[in-house]
Amino acid sequence: MSKNRTIIAPATVPGRGGVSIIRMSGKLSKSIAESMCGELADAWRFKRCSIKSRGGSKIDDGMVVFFKSPNSYTGDDVVEFHCHGNPTIVNLVIEEAVDLGAVVAEPGEFTKTAFLNEKIDLVQAESVADLINAQSKTAVVAANSSLSGEFSEQISFLLDGIVKARVVVEANIDFPEEEIDVSVLESVKEELQDFHAEINELLSRVKEGVKLRDGYSVAIVGPPNAGKSSLLNLLAKEELAITSKVPGTTRDLVKTSVNIGGVLIEFVDTAGVRHDPEGPIEEQGIQRSKEVIKKSNLCLLVQDATTVQGFDVGLGDFLTVLNKSDLLEGRFSNTDNTFYLSCSTGQGVEELLKALIARLGIDEGEETVFLSRQRHEISLRSGGLFLEEAIMSLSEGQVLELVAESLRSAHSALGDIIRPMSADDLLGEIFSEFCIGK
Amino acid sequence: MNKYDVIVIGGGHAGVEAADACSRFGVKTLLITHDKSKTGEMSCNPAIGGIGKSHLAKEVDALGGLMARAADKAGIHYRVLNSTKGQAVRATRVQTDRDLYKAAIQDFLSSSPNLTIKEGSVVDLDIKNSTIKSVITEKGEKIFSNSVILTTGTFLGGVMHTGLEQSSGGRIGDPSSDKLAQKLRGLSLKVGRLKTGTPPRLNKHSIDWSLLSPQPGDTPTPLLSYTSQASERPEQLNCYMTRTNQKTHQVILNHLDESPMYSGLIEGVGPRYCPSIEDKVMRFSERDSHQIFAEPEGLNSDLIYPNGISTSLPLKAQKELIKSIKGFENAKIVRPGYAIEYDFFDPTGLKHSLETKTISGLFFAGQINGTTGYEEAAAQGIVAGINASLRATNQEAFELQRDEAYIGVLIDDLVSLGTKEPYRMFTSRAEYRLILREDNADMRLTEKGRKLGIVSDLLWQKYQDKRDATNKEILRLKKDKLKPNTPEAKKIKKQTGEGISSNISLFEILKRPKVLHSHLPKGEITLAPNAVDEIEASIKYEGYIKRQKIDIERLQRNENTPIPKHINYEKVVGLSNEVKQKLSEARPESLARASRLPGVTPAAISLLMIYLKKERKAVG
Repeated sequence: MSKNRTIIAPATVPGRGGVSIIRMSGKLSKSIAESMCGELADAWRFKRCSIKSRGGSKIDDGMVVFFKSPNSYTGDDVVEFHCHGNPTIVNLVIEEAVDLGAVVAEPGEFTKTAFLNEKIDLVQAESVADLINAQSKTAVVAANSSLSGEFSEQISFLLDGIVKARVVVEANIDFPEEEIDVSVLESVKEELQDFHAEINELLSRVKEGVKLRDGYSVAIVGPPNAGKSSLLNLLAKEELAITSKVPGTTRDLVKTSVNIGGVLIEFVDTAGVRHDPEGPIEEQGIQRSKEVIKKSNLCLLVQDATTVQGFDVGLGDFLTVLNKSDLLEGRFSNTDNTFYLSCSTGQGVEELLKALIARLGIDEGEETVFLSRQRHEISLRSGGLFLEEAIMSLSEGQVLELVAESLRSAHSALGDIIRPMSADDLLGEIFSEFCIGK
Repeated sequence: MNKYDVIVIGGGHAGVEAADACSRFGVKTLLITHDKSKTGEMSCNPAIGGIGKSHLAKEVDALGGLMARAADKAGIHYRVLNSTKGQAVRATRVQTDRDLYKAAIQDFLSSSPNLTIKEGSVVDLDIKNSTIKSVITEKGEKIFSNSVILTTGTFLGGVMHTGLEQSSGGRIGDPSSDKLAQKLRGLSLKVGRLKTGTPPRLNKHSIDWSLLSPQPGDTPTPLLSYTSQASERPEQLNCYMTRTNQKTHQVILNHLDESPMYSGLIEGVGPRYCPSIEDKVMRFSERDSHQIFAEPEGLNSDLIYPNGISTSLPLKAQKELIKSIKGFENAKIVRPGYAIEYDFFDPTGLKHSLETKTISGLFFAGQINGTTGYEEAAAQGIVAGINASLRATNQEAFELQRDEAYIGVLIDDLVSLGTKEPYRMFTSRAEYRLILREDNADMRLTEKGRKLGIVSDLLWQKYQDKRDATNKEILRLKKDKLKPNTPEAKKIKKQTGEGISSNISLFEILKRPKVLHSHLPKGEITLAPNAVDEIEASIKYEGYIKRQKIDIERLQRNENTPIPKHINYEKVVGLSNEVKQKLSEARPESLARASRLPGVTPAAISLLMIYLKKERKAVG
């Protein structure tokens, strides 16, 4: 436990409100709080109190609660002051505590302390930051599921399995005379195949999580004057892009983020792509559109339903939107990839959004995706590849030390996500399972 | 004046390698030992090598050391363990004649050019300004040196237990070095206590050999040293095996309260591997039998070492125990088994050169650092010898990295992690196992040894020949192609089942798991067996070795990020107190070494890295 530094910071957003919470962590927390509030209640119990300065003047009436180490957020002694939501009061409380020996915490220092005290692992530490920054409901749920350690648990489960496999393989290598049951090796392969499948499953959830964290990006493309900007405005429910009937009005990219079904989706309106651009500005805009298309998860190809034109710019995954359906007098029907709608009446938007969410692969309510970072994806993927290599070596009858090497690499890749394990830990496992030593 | 460049205290496996390395290096060396006739004594079982250990022995050999050469002069039973697995984990194990081994070592030392051997015991060390000045013998003689290597093994504060009886000593019949132990305990070094055990020795003629299963040695018989000749080897013998049974286990359970381990008499920590038979029976109660190897102590010896039943039960119980074993029904115990407890110095107090951090010029090697095993001792001995010589000649220390040698793994583990039990080498301790092989210890180390001046002309010539032949052969394998449907291709298909469908180089064919070098069409060069091993390993492991090399390069950057000697860890923002304390105590020389300290998390390393970068910017 870090005992040298007692840190303090507001835990709630600055500004006026009903209640502000100030959090203090470190060895001096309790004594500082007691000189400000008098004797505290038992640990984890609130006490109503007057918060006083050393001069004896009252700063505020509020509540104070003491979390005794190690059962606190940071693992150190923690005190929370609940005072009235007024920045001046918050500042006075903090100043008083600083005078008594606390220091103002750096950004993220509480979480960092919790991590260093092994209250939470790296994945959990990261998801705390994500939870705070989460912008949509699904993101909050995902951050919570990472924070609760569900993701870590899955990784730990895989790690335990890989350790078991390594114990068998390494024991066979280091103790060939110890009558270790070789038949166990045969079942190792089957288990590894299960773990491999599990990694792939986890990987797809993690990929979703990475997208969720970064948000999804949808490009709106199509020939000039088909109504791309009108669609964006409709989605954003406010006038973002300038619309006009003159083709080629949108030359810069216009973006807006919309919360759809709990997921944050960024729509990017692009310049209409034509094949004989008039003048250099539009050409530049068109170039930029092509780049947006490349980076987006999905394209909406907007066409004028009355005059559908050819559009041969590479799009990747896309849905076709036929605008101005109000001019068709009801003689149309949607297909899996084609959606009629009217930007002027708003008719047909619901169907489009449903299809959009399905196509982006955002599963609502089913398995929770983990809010993940790129590094999780990379570690998981290489862990999976190494496992695959180990399985292949076992099938091909490769020498055992190559199986061992692949497993070691898989172990260290996955271990990087949570916490590494040393060779000595592994030997410990071997010695606890096998009677070694003649 | 009575002065030497280097003084080595102790004539065990660490001491003799240290003394001989110094002598080969060319510095005036003195070896002080209790009893000259016991120099090079194998005090536990008479075998050299085994998994991980043979790697160490061959590395010592590749640096010009004694152990492997002596083992070949005394080897009466050779086996290559893991022979069905790949080159990296194959390991030679040599059963030796105890007397021949000792004689070979003493013979080497007697012809060592700059070495004087003196019988005596050191009772005091003269240390001024945290620097070693001289050693004082029991006769009050003062001998000066700026470099002293302590290799006192289990003799420091040694207590032997047979049943509940205790006596002081380092080995049956030898006094323990109590006075020196007291002196050392008074220095600012952290002392711990370990234990180890031995089995009772049996009379050869009292065993019914017809009831034991014979274990012949390998043919063709391998050699341990790169320079030995087959003609140097003595006659080969069989080893024999038997097993404990439920009756044996019952005897142990009946007498458990007389075992000093279980009565609490022994305070030291024993190894998790190689436990006493009491331990095995208690910890693995589901097993109703454990194997015992009846190893001959020598060609002319009447003693048998029953490997697998080390014990500290009282003699009466040992007799019952032995009687219960098949083939041992009438066996006579010549010497009872015993457990020995001894002092060791926490090796985290050492630099990678094996010099103590607190006393300049004082080096520790061998069991004194918490290791067990002859090979581990020899490996440290040679490194301490080299570094004491370098110090004596004002040169920079010699260190081996984890990707260069098992010796590097051994010393880095000890110095960075310390040890809680007697430390023994295993291949799983080496992350670069595929690179660190028996077949290429010479390729990895002999040039370094030659530069230091400790490699003989014979070894140097053998190394160069092998290196050149290997390179030529690899070129040929890359150049020569095999066509489908040729007699050569058909032969490979017949021998390995591997079909050849298009023109392919021999090099590529050799990558296939079942294909061996011997299956390929022969070239003009005749290759030594270990050269063939090296070629096969470097080709078959190629992809994996490339991957490991990338790892090594990445680590190298951290290895090359020095941590300033006088860094104040209090100033590194964000480190927990625990980590600060660990770093302040260990004072690692580089970021990579810091990362290997237990309890130093990856997060702590990144904080440290950021701090070091900031500092460098501020300075530059």
